[in-house]
Amino acid sequence: MRLPTDFYKILAFATRSALVNRRNVFAIFEMLFWPGVAIFSVGLLTRFLKLDPETVTFILIGAVSMNTIQIAQLDLSYALLYSVWAKSLKHEFMAPIKLAHILVGAGTVGLIRGFVVFVIMGFLSMWLFDMDLARPGVQGLLIFLTGMFLNAAIIGALVLALVLRFGQRAEVAAWAFSYLMLLLCGLYYPVSILPLGIRELAQIIPLTYFLEYFRHFYGFPLMSSHPLLYGFSQSVVYLGLCYALVQYTLKSALQRGTLLRLSE
Amino acid sequence: MQPAIFAAGIGKSFRTGFFGPRKQVLQEVDLEVGPGSIFGILGPNGAGKTTFISILATLLRPDAGQARVLGLDVVKDADRLRERVNLAASGAHFLWCLTVEENLKFYGRLYGLGGKALATKVGELLDLFELQPHRRVTFERLSTGLKQRLALAKALINTPELLFLDEPTTGLDPEMAQHIRGEIQRLNRDAGLTILLTTHNMREAESLCGEVAFLKEGRLVARGTMPELQERLGLGDRLSLFFKDGPAPLDYGRLPGVLTYKAENNRVDLMVDRAEKRLAAILEEVSQTQSKVIQVQLKEVDLAEIYHEITH
Repeated sequence: MRLPTDFYKILAFATRSALVNRRNVFAIFEMLFWPGVAIFSVGLLTRFLKLDPETVTFILIGAVSMNTIQIAQLDLSYALLYSVWAKSLKHEFMAPIKLAHILVGAGTVGLIRGFVVFVIMGFLSMWLFDMDLARPGVQGLLIFLTGMFLNAAIIGALVLALVLRFGQRAEVAAWAFSYLMLLLCGLYYPVSILPLGIRELAQIIPLTYFLEYFRHFYGFPLMSSHPLLYGFSQSVVYLGLCYALVQYTLKSALQRGTLLRLSE
Repeated sequence: MQPAIFAAGIGKSFRTGFFGPRKQVLQEVDLEVGPGSIFGILGPNGAGKTTFISILATLLRPDAGQARVLGLDVVKDADRLRERVNLAASGAHFLWCLTVEENLKFYGRLYGLGGKALATKVGELLDLFELQPHRRVTFERLSTGLKQRLALAKALINTPELLFLDEPTTGLDPEMAQHIRGEIQRLNRDAGLTILLTTHNMREAESLCGEVAFLKEGRLVARGTMPELQERLGLGDRLSLFFKDGPAPLDYGRLPGVLTYKAENNRVDLMVDRAEKRLAAILEEVSQTQSKVIQVQLKEVDLAEIYHEITH
């Protein structure tokens, strides 16, 4: 990348995401209302079920991760959807930009929003339900956050590829992908209780390992010997594959005329 | 001198539906456009104008042929080319919740502008297109004319050497369309910008373009200057003069601008190159014969007429 022109191209997508979020009431709901509702409802459910503190923590970690990833991936997923909704896609790709500018620019805003959600939900969990979020220490927290953001980036990049291939119809994928992934990776339950076959699927989702790593600080056993090795290596491989997929769909969109069709 | 646009044997087809047959949209299109000119691509809807301009603008890859814009291959050198060209299309579309200024800044950054350079450029464009009073208005609140002005401003954000305009005045009221045409002429004249525009408005092409080409069902069927094409086809505006007591005794074929004529009873039908330019002179000649004209009918030559002549 050449600085500073590449920096300004990244800044373009970051600023646009930030401005859209600032002017969108729903974005405030995404960051405050839904995460708040999630913590309250899940936390109160654990209280009703009279669960022991460790199990409550296990479940609250799931709720915090789900919302953090969900919000973090949205900005990336929406990076092209904004252009599709505005019918301005051809003007964006008429400019000398690369996919990396979109991914880094919109992804940075997603990362910031995800981090804010994590902090808000973590604070609510500690305040209302006595969850000891600080127990894994700064290093543990940073590794867990990095893992979540890597997973968010994978989902976001997949949605970008789908948007370039199917246009607005891919909108639903922005939500569906993360729910499916979160369902499989043992968000509210240990992966060991998943039915055979599904359990194997969980092994190929990096978030499974990051959740396992974070929860082991609260006394839950590790299912694999090197969760971080598996988690990070899978993340890097998937990110690489997703990047290649988005590149391929962009090339295909230039061949098929998708950019023009989505701008009409 | 190297042409600003060179296209040879351009072909493009699209699949209709998922498993449907391919529809040929462009076939063997050749074109050369000189630098500093305004060149028009004419043709009715569905003729392939937008497809062709999109290939040249690097938004679409051709199935066949080769195209070079400003000496750069539109496929292999797409990134480098995008830095030097830009596009404005009819029905301007930008992000609805960003203001005029924010939209321009967004596109400016996409071209690598930032800091003072970006602020200066955006300020210049806001002044140039009289958008200063609307700079803080969100795109969704702009009138159609202002949206189109923003589209043109955006198309100049990277100070392009070549501008693609895809039906730039479609949907605008006549006054605004005229204003935009004036801007296009000014950009070509003052900045020496090469402009390739598509339109199905014959008068627009005539007033703006030094040269035009006709596309029909994906094929380039004719090209030339407007007078060349009109002369080649023997086409022009139709002027009918109705006399009270028989046609004026004149050699109508020798009147200025008359291409063909037919005299019948009390009526003379003339085909002239430009009726609005010739009418006064013709009526002056007629009045000198003492013949009385009781009615004048004028029908300007239109795209459909020329197009029909070219393609049949």
